Amino acid sequence: MIGLLPPLPVAGPLAVAGLLLMLSKALPRPLPDVIALLTALGVVLVCIVLAGHAAPQPLVYWFGGWAPDAGRVLGIGFVIDQAGAAIAAFIGLLFAATLVFAWGYYDEVHAHFHVLMLVFMAGMIGFCLTHDLFNMFVWFEVMSVAAFAVTGYALRSSALEGALNFTVVNSIGSYLILGGIGLIYAEAGALDFSALAQGVARAPDSPVTAAAFALVMSGFLIKAAQVPFQFWLADAHAVAPSPVSVIFSGAMVALGVFGAARLSFAVFAPAAPVMRVLHTLLLGMGAASAVLGGVMALMQRHVKRLLAFSTISHVGVMVVGLALPDPAGLSGLFVYLVGHGLVKGALFMVAGILLARCSGIDEVGLRGRGRGIWPAGVAMAAGGLLLAGLPFGLMDEGTRLIGDAAQRVGNIWVVPAITAGAICTGAAVLRVTGRVFLGLGPVPGEEERSPTEREREKSDRPLWLMLLPTALLLLLALGGAEAAGAFAGQAAAAFMHPDTAALLGPGAAVPPSPPVAPAPDPPTTALPWLATGLALAIAAFELTRRRLPGRLVRGFDWVTRPPLDVLRTLHSGRVGDYVAWLAVGVALFALAFAFG
Amino acid sequence: MTRRARLLLCVLAAACLLPACLHVALHMPPFGAHPLPYGEAINALATRQRHVTNMVSAVNFDYRGLDTLGEEFMLLGAVTGTAVLLRGSRGEQLTARPGRVGNRPVAPRSDAVVLICRALAALTVLFGVYVVLHAMTTPGGGFQGGAIIAAATALIFLGEGYRGWRRIMRTGLLDAAEGGGAALYALCGFAAMAAGWPFLHNFLPLGTPRDVFSGGLMQIENAGVGFAVAGGFAVLFVEFLEETRAERDGDGA
Amino acid sequence: MSQALALFPWAAATWLLAIGVYAIVTSRHYVHLIGCLSVVQSSTYVLLLAVGYRRGAGPPIFYTHPPGTPAVDPVVQALVLTDIVIGATVTALLLAIALQLHKTRGTLDPEKLRPMQR
Repeated sequence: MIGLLPPLPVAGPLAVAGLLLMLSKALPRPLPDVIALLTALGVVLVCIVLAGHAAPQPLVYWFGGWAPDAGRVLGIGFVIDQAGAAIAAFIGLLFAATLVFAWGYYDEVHAHFHVLMLVFMAGMIGFCLTHDLFNMFVWFEVMSVAAFAVTGYALRSSALEGALNFTVVNSIGSYLILGGIGLIYAEAGALDFSALAQGVARAPDSPVTAAAFALVMSGFLIKAAQVPFQFWLADAHAVAPSPVSVIFSGAMVALGVFGAARLSFAVFAPAAPVMRVLHTLLLGMGAASAVLGGVMALMQRHVKRLLAFSTISHVGVMVVGLALPDPAGLSGLFVYLVGHGLVKGALFMVAGILLARCSGIDEVGLRGRGRGIWPAGVAMAAGGLLLAGLPFGLMDEGTRLIGDAAQRVGNIWVVPAITAGAICTGAAVLRVTGRVFLGLGPVPGEEERSPTEREREKSDRPLWLMLLPTALLLLLALGGAEAAGAFAGQAAAAFMHPDTAALLGPGAAVPPSPPVAPAPDPPTTALPWLATGLALAIAAFELTRRRLPGRLVRGFDWVTRPPLDVLRTLHSGRVGDYVAWLAVGVALFALAFAFG
Repeated sequence: MTRRARLLLCVLAAACLLPACLHVALHMPPFGAHPLPYGEAINALATRQRHVTNMVSAVNFDYRGLDTLGEEFMLLGAVTGTAVLLRGSRGEQLTARPGRVGNRPVAPRSDAVVLICRALAALTVLFGVYVVLHAMTTPGGGFQGGAIIAAATALIFLGEGYRGWRRIMRTGLLDAAEGGGAALYALCGFAAMAAGWPFLHNFLPLGTPRDVFSGGLMQIENAGVGFAVAGGFAVLFVEFLEETRAERDGDGA
Repeated sequence: MSQALALFPWAAATWLLAIGVYAIVTSRHYVHLIGCLSVVQSSTYVLLLAVGYRRGAGPPIFYTHPPGTPAVDPVVQALVLTDIVIGATVTALLLAIALQLHKTRGTLDPEKLRPMQR
């Protein structure tokens, strides 16, 4: 019975999407909502069952019945391990919550929005479960194309401009990945992960393998919006409709890291030079993104753009987890991915509530206007505290695991970087909470200078319908950290050492890299509380700067203004700049391989 | 950032990437002479295993059929997205009179144009169907044929003018072809499961090689792709051609 | 000489990628930029087809030749077919967005467009 489940979470939503489009003219209004929600819930259920059965051996499913014959792979397989299935379940859940949040939001376009969301979801889940490089790329494209389509949906000029930047930069990323696939196919003559790993093991020092890695990783890091590929993200997430932003920041961006992790361990692990670059360059990129995203978030007043920059920062933490040569880093990545997705999803929902209820998204313009919807303020404050590092729940567990890993492998310098990022993003969100929901921190004369044209979203949905999924996501982010950590530890061990022999038959084994013995956990520190306190302090400073001694504020500005202005100029919104930086990012890989 | 700074960045990146590219190119497997185990295995096996002579179709619809499932829905997502984006500001109403872009007059069509377009449109559709049907034997298939069929709708626009063209091109019908074709592909997979096989397993009788109707389940999947591509591209034509009409009073949204 | 010629396909793919990226960076019109994106994509066609090429081999279609005749790799051709569909869909989407943008802003110069004014 379990053997029948693997194709369902992907093919099911796709079939429903096709039928929904076919019948879109005939279906009465609430039906598309109901059907899409039920599909998403079904996907969650199936993925949870799959996750439960993915240990000790992953579930293997060969499409079309093309099981490998004497170690030769002809077809496409899904190899469902705990990590893939659990993240797929999380994606389904996020979609279900978003569909509740967006109930009735899009009824004027028949079922088109639901069709796109279902295709989007199926692409993401196929991406998590597949065991074939080109198939992974196909699902990646399915999710990208659906994402491009829903970004510009609002048809405001800023939304269209953001969608253009997003599409152009991400398409270049896709083509880089495809180029990498061509190179590795030339070198290894296969597309299945295990068969590719065998090919890589035959020539671990080949420059072609290295180039394939550089291209594929660049593509995934563009999706993950890491320095210096990060520019498109703030434009796209800020202007997409709020329900779409929930998915973008909550899951899509993090899947870039997941894909990078999947390929690093399933395909490129036998190539020592490649792993060296993974452990150095990606570590640097992740740490830089964590700090940059945090600083940029503090500088924003457009709430969704602020949240978008905080996503860059937190995905940077995930990349750090991937780049640390320690299993705890990877299990930290998994826990953090889910925890961050839940919290950030909830925060974007609060932004959506502001857009619907207060007809605005500019922090200064909204000052004090959120008093009537205080439960949303509670949710936002909770989200801000969790982002800053409050020691409860999944995000804290992930941070702790990644911090431990850094300590064990002697890369302790990344801990201040990721903590600083978390403090800044938490402070930024708390500052918005204070200003919008408590009416603190007036900035006279600034209300009219909002960074975009007037925005609002459809406002006829009841408040409780929007708050319910928000609260659900936050509650999930708070609970079960211990269990999640243990599960992720198990999942990470299986993820790092895929059992090639079991998949391709005996005699096909790749020499496994020696497993790292888990060291005893370092004692917990007061760092999370310190970080939370600092975030509160920064938020308080920003909100009360008019009442502070003028000399202090001016001195602070004198020090911080010039570098911040440079950062602001770099995020110019011009696609030419973004693509130039993209080229620089790919060049960094070349330099890392040459001198690393 | 100024244009000069931007170009400087590009030059720096190129200076790093050029030697890297050269290095990689020199270490590429020898062009035209390196082993291709995957492709060779398919070339050796597919005719025996699946009774088809077009290896590319065998890869697309059978060995790697899941890729094509994803690809169908990528097309569906993009077409749906394009339709939503373009319709957004104008609605989908059929309006009777063609508008004008700027001061360009709506030129009267000569009888010759009408005649040629009618003849060519029919022939093009026929040719498209022919290409779709020959997916298993010779170069052809649902993608290519579907695109050709959709191209015929542009000829209808040329020959019949806006009004006649819109009478034929009902978006509901095109959506149905597009969504239904893609869903048909997915349902093929579920049909295999219902018959007790893995998803997308080719469980139908395979026919004889070099016969147009060889390939079993691949034929149905191919037809689904044909419908989806023809419908999808026709929707794109409709939506983009609608954009060439300027809005006038009482002319829809 | 033949070794230099063997480098040619890889050089062509690299050149298409480089010139496409350069043109995107310097583009002053979005429709031009979308065309350049297709140029970038063409480099992947060239690369994939060159990878699957086999000297002296025919097409992977055994209608007139019997199976077993040397043929080029059908897998990369299937991949390119998928690639073409991706290109077409993304181009359609981008053009739709550009069209709408031209309606609201009256320009398609990437230098004059930016999603956030501040």
